[in-house]
Amino acid sequence: MAGVMEEARGPAPAPRQRAIALWKPVRFGLGGWATIVIAALYFFAPLVITGVFSLWEGRSRYGFAAYRGLLADGEMWSSLLLSFRLSIETIALGLVLLLPAMIFVHLRAPRLRPLFEFISALPFVVPAIALVAGLTALYTGPDWLIGTPNYLVIPYFFLALPYAYRALDVGLSALDLRTLTEAGQSLGASWPQILFRVVLPNLVSAMLGAILLTLAIVMGEFTFANILLFRTFAVYITDVGQSAVTEAAALTLLSFAITWGAMLGVLATGRGRTAQVGGAH
Amino acid sequence: MAGDDKSMIGRRGALALGGALGGAAGLAALGLPSVADAAGMPAGLVAKAKKEGRLNVIALPPDWANYGAIITAFKKQYGLSVTSANPDGSSAQELQTLRTLRGQSRAPDCVDVGPSFAVEGAKAGLFAPYKVATWNDIPADMKDASGLWVGDYFGVISVAANRSVVKTMPQSWADLKKPEYKGMVSLNGDPMGAAAAFSAVYAASLANGGSLDDIAPGVHYFAELAKLGNFNPAQARPASVIGGQTPITLDWDYLSLSDRKKGRGKAEITVAIPQGGPAYGGYYCQAISAHAPNPSAARLWQEFLYSDQGQIMFLEGYAHPARFNALVAANKIPTALMQELPSPEAYRDIKFASLDQQAKAKTVLADLWPKLVKT
Amino acid sequence: MAAFLLLPTLVLLVQAFSGPHGPTLEWVRTLGSYRYRTAFRNSVLLSAWSAILGLAAGLAIAHAVLRPGAPRGLRTLATSFAAVAANFAGVPLAFAFIATLGTLGLLTTALRSAGIDIYAAGFSLYSVSGLTIVYAYFQVPLMLIVIMPALEGLKREWREAASNLGASSWQYWRHVAFPVLLPSLLAAFVLLFGNAFSAYATPYALTSGNIGLLPIEISNLLSGNVTLAPQVAAALAAGMVAVMAVVLAIYALANRRASRWRG
Repeated sequence: MAGVMEEARGPAPAPRQRAIALWKPVRFGLGGWATIVIAALYFFAPLVITGVFSLWEGRSRYGFAAYRGLLADGEMWSSLLLSFRLSIETIALGLVLLLPAMIFVHLRAPRLRPLFEFISALPFVVPAIALVAGLTALYTGPDWLIGTPNYLVIPYFFLALPYAYRALDVGLSALDLRTLTEAGQSLGASWPQILFRVVLPNLVSAMLGAILLTLAIVMGEFTFANILLFRTFAVYITDVGQSAVTEAAALTLLSFAITWGAMLGVLATGRGRTAQVGGAH
Repeated sequence: MAGDDKSMIGRRGALALGGALGGAAGLAALGLPSVADAAGMPAGLVAKAKKEGRLNVIALPPDWANYGAIITAFKKQYGLSVTSANPDGSSAQELQTLRTLRGQSRAPDCVDVGPSFAVEGAKAGLFAPYKVATWNDIPADMKDASGLWVGDYFGVISVAANRSVVKTMPQSWADLKKPEYKGMVSLNGDPMGAAAAFSAVYAASLANGGSLDDIAPGVHYFAELAKLGNFNPAQARPASVIGGQTPITLDWDYLSLSDRKKGRGKAEITVAIPQGGPAYGGYYCQAISAHAPNPSAARLWQEFLYSDQGQIMFLEGYAHPARFNALVAANKIPTALMQELPSPEAYRDIKFASLDQQAKAKTVLADLWPKLVKT
Repeated sequence: MAAFLLLPTLVLLVQAFSGPHGPTLEWVRTLGSYRYRTAFRNSVLLSAWSAILGLAAGLAIAHAVLRPGAPRGLRTLATSFAAVAANFAGVPLAFAFIATLGTLGLLTTALRSAGIDIYAAGFSLYSVSGLTIVYAYFQVPLMLIVIMPALEGLKREWREAASNLGASSWQYWRHVAFPVLLPSLLAAFVLLFGNAFSAYATPYALTSGNIGLLPIEISNLLSGNVTLAPQVAAALAAGMVAVMAVVLAIYALANRRASRWRG
């Protein structure tokens, strides 16, 4: 790549028959709008349908009865808070464990990458019940851990692993890690400085992706919480879905809106940092 | 749903039903105590249970066989707090939870599982034997001889239809093949995974030349439904029945009737036992965990479920309780309640498949269904 | 860390191959039945197709969102929505699609009254192609989130340079951008494939297992209400591990080739 860039600064090559204007980035234009509109139609249609159903009060009446009932339900809020808390804990655990390991592998031990890849794909294929059986066989511990919902952070970390790993991996691969760290070292920076002031700022986009995915996964996770009998948000939603018909649809939209709000919050705080470093866009 | 008081004949041979219910009014009740359990329970059980103070149950949806109301009544009567976990759980998950949470205070005290799972659990030593006070009223082939598990209620396969979408109610298996029901008939799950769906195939078989030993005609029936375009593979849930996306469903009678109750005000649902063959029945079993954190509360719960009050509450959830015939013979069942249930004619000759017959059917089903039923 | 995942996998593999009298191929042999062969085929096809669809559509949308002229805030909106949509799977999604495109769905009946009967024309929501369309709802957003950092890594200078050298847009994409993106695209494909491969709640609610899929079969045998057959379930799960291993192996090979330009 360096070669191409140097040549571009050199004398211009022989002009071709058609005029070479300075390349202007493609405007958003018709193609951009078409893509977005089609995507929006596809993604919003099911939500609109669910919304219509959630307002159905029977025969031909429509109203907000379902929503009113839900917002007044204390159990909804307690399960929601529980899920939020678990997501924050899982995100923290995930970043602390994954980042150093992956940076290490990318820099020093590229041979280990295939192993990491395989491990990160395992959660897809080991059925939840087998994982729970494995969990309980391996971890008999103090009641304060095993009996409480905090225990869920462990399986949740593994559930989010493939996605967080992939997001961070794509980000790390897009960086020229070796050059960056070597440059940092040659400038006299210590490892922590390199890590926090050189590498991580370039990884913000990937980290945000990993955080978002983990948040979404934990908020939506049902199987483990259900098997271990903890009342997380997803468990609550399913319970409601079994008994109360329109409330289920209303709850779906509510949870969608709440989670989306949380995401926007995460991105808003992250976006500021990207702007400072001056990302590619 | 005739209000006639004809006796409801129990299932094949084993249950010989005594005389007719007779005109309800005017018949003196036979002299059985009103709350039978109080007489036969072990001494001090209530006190011991109250000392434990709580009960953990699992996989009991509130609108399944009226469990919601039963739990509330139990709480009120004995002052215990009840934790009802994983209401949507399957029998396999219940056994799994017994293993997973063993030794923890959150472990379930009792389970309500299908018969094959009850046998499985008994074999694995997960249960503690216990015979309730009213043990003798329960038919012999609905309980384990040593008391490790007991059948609590049974139901038969019924057809439910959302009348906002379905103009004419299908009354028989043959009716379901009519073109007016295109895309409307659903099951509540995979016949290889959901007991009601599996039983629906069995019931279809009985009505189409098959038998308890031969489920193949049932598979052929659904294959034909699929070919006609009447079979809708989407999973039927209360929301989709009431909402009209899966307007016709084949399910346990107590679930269909509960859907009807749930849908009141939103959509009118009619329930019938499809004609064309004998009704196919299935029952569930209670069992106490061998490692129950609250063993006395667990036993008290059993006594409650099998008391007159508990059994009639099952019936209020449209599930026929195990002691149904004894209760009918003792004239314990309110006429109004009898009138809400489908006509006794349909229950005249209920077929229950034995565990061996079911095992054979499952193999045939697993093999034939993917080959024949193409949606 | 690895122990948690590897141990159950090992237990699974052992269970898949052990019988009452020692090691046996009995359970694995059941995998050859029509039912399970179909499940394998359906699962692999569905996962592959939905991954490809997710790849293409996700890339297109990501590219559009990242264009400099895009409306302000579109990127934040799209990324946050994508994160939620990526997990909006299961019964609510299935229900929404049944209500839209099912045999009695709103869109279906609307089209029918306009004279177009999509079901008569051969479309069915309850088929592999129908499922692919539904799967796209969580595949495309996943792709969007994962590929964004890679697209950002395509430096503008490269595009300018290529253009100054006389390369057309097509040539830029083919010789510059695509090779750079390829490792990320391959990685994204593996993720999307795995995501679809292990999906359970959505297809079950949509088809009740009538389109045989591996997670549904396993769940039926392990946590259903009809039959309990943990060894066959273990064999099926072992089969799933094998498929993922093959996919990963192909990915590793392709990745080595794709990264060659880095030197």
